[in-house]
Amino acid sequence: MKDLQSPAEQPRRAARVSLWRLLWIWMTIGVQSFGGGSATLYLIRRAAVERYGWLTEDEFTRYWGICQITPGINILSMVILIGWRVAGVLGASFALIGLVAPSAAITVALTSVYAHFRQASLVRAAIAGVVPATVGLGLLLSYTMVRPLLNAARRDGRGSTAAAGILLLGSALAAAVARAPAVGILWSAGALSAFLQWQRLARRRRPQ
Amino acid sequence: MTDPLALFWIMFRAALLSTSGTGNLPILHQDLLARGWATERQFAEALAIGQISPGPTGLWVISLGYLVDGLRGAALTLLAIVLPPLLVLLLVHGIYARWGDHPATQGFVRGLGLAVSGIFVVVMARIMNSAGWTPINLMIMLGAVALGATRRVPVLLILVLAALVGIGLF
Repeated sequence: MKDLQSPAEQPRRAARVSLWRLLWIWMTIGVQSFGGGSATLYLIRRAAVERYGWLTEDEFTRYWGICQITPGINILSMVILIGWRVAGVLGASFALIGLVAPSAAITVALTSVYAHFRQASLVRAAIAGVVPATVGLGLLLSYTMVRPLLNAARRDGRGSTAAAGILLLGSALAAAVARAPAVGILWSAGALSAFLQWQRLARRRRPQ
Repeated sequence: MTDPLALFWIMFRAALLSTSGTGNLPILHQDLLARGWATERQFAEALAIGQISPGPTGLWVISLGYLVDGLRGAALTLLAIVLPPLLVLLLVHGIYARWGDHPATQGFVRGLGLAVSGIFVVVMARIMNSAGWTPINLMIMLGAVALGATRRVPVLLILVLAALVGIGLF
């Protein structure tokens, strides 16, 4: 982790806080963040950059870039990286526990209450309404995920836009029609896109 | 009957081989349905509970773990989603500092995101298949899209409205 923590990058007036205070800060972020990842990320940014000065704006953006290519939930990676930066391994552990424990407990509690009444006819009727709404919200989520990617591809040019469209439709078709393994589709699309992007920039650097 | 070790492995593998909070959904949907451990309805339920609960959306899998295997399933899932980023960031962090800005890395992230979005739509269609493409279901679905797209209506309110429509109609 020393690559991410060279002395030159240390924020100048980083607030020193105890581990228990850290735990508390992350717990409040976890419990307050309703409405998904962007809400959580906003609260993390406000605390880490604006309030406590643990990172600069640029470092925050760079850390978030690293989290995009880290396996698992990006927010958890972000929390681990910032926690590490603030207080090493203990900082990372306390940050992770602080963010996840209360939110996970609430998720489990909600699910167990729900599972208890799952078969009640009133709940069944309510869920019959919620399922299509979840599908609608899922489609919207898919759209918000894909829009910035397509915009970036459009800025790269016509070739990249076409490639992005083909990858999007190809993945959907591979899953729907061919019923290909999801892992295979995800990684093939990633590898193909990595290759194309690399080739495109290599060509640009070598003008004929 | 679910085998706890196998459940942990499925959850761990899906988190390890994907990125972002819902990137694991296509993999889990395939693996858990194939074993008959989860139903389309349970996926929809877990996603809805994940939207309502605080914290990152990615915690929806904990709800799925609970629906599949109770408290044990939820605990195993929690461990399975925390370990991949922890292990990877602590073990191979040096690679990121070197390759984080490489065009191939950016391309990889883009391709992965495109594929997740594409498969996501298919998974949503399968959930809709099991619920039925009835006019009422379609209206609720489109209503949720319309309200969600305004970005002014909280997700909780959308789901509560949908539940009320369900109670009124079904």
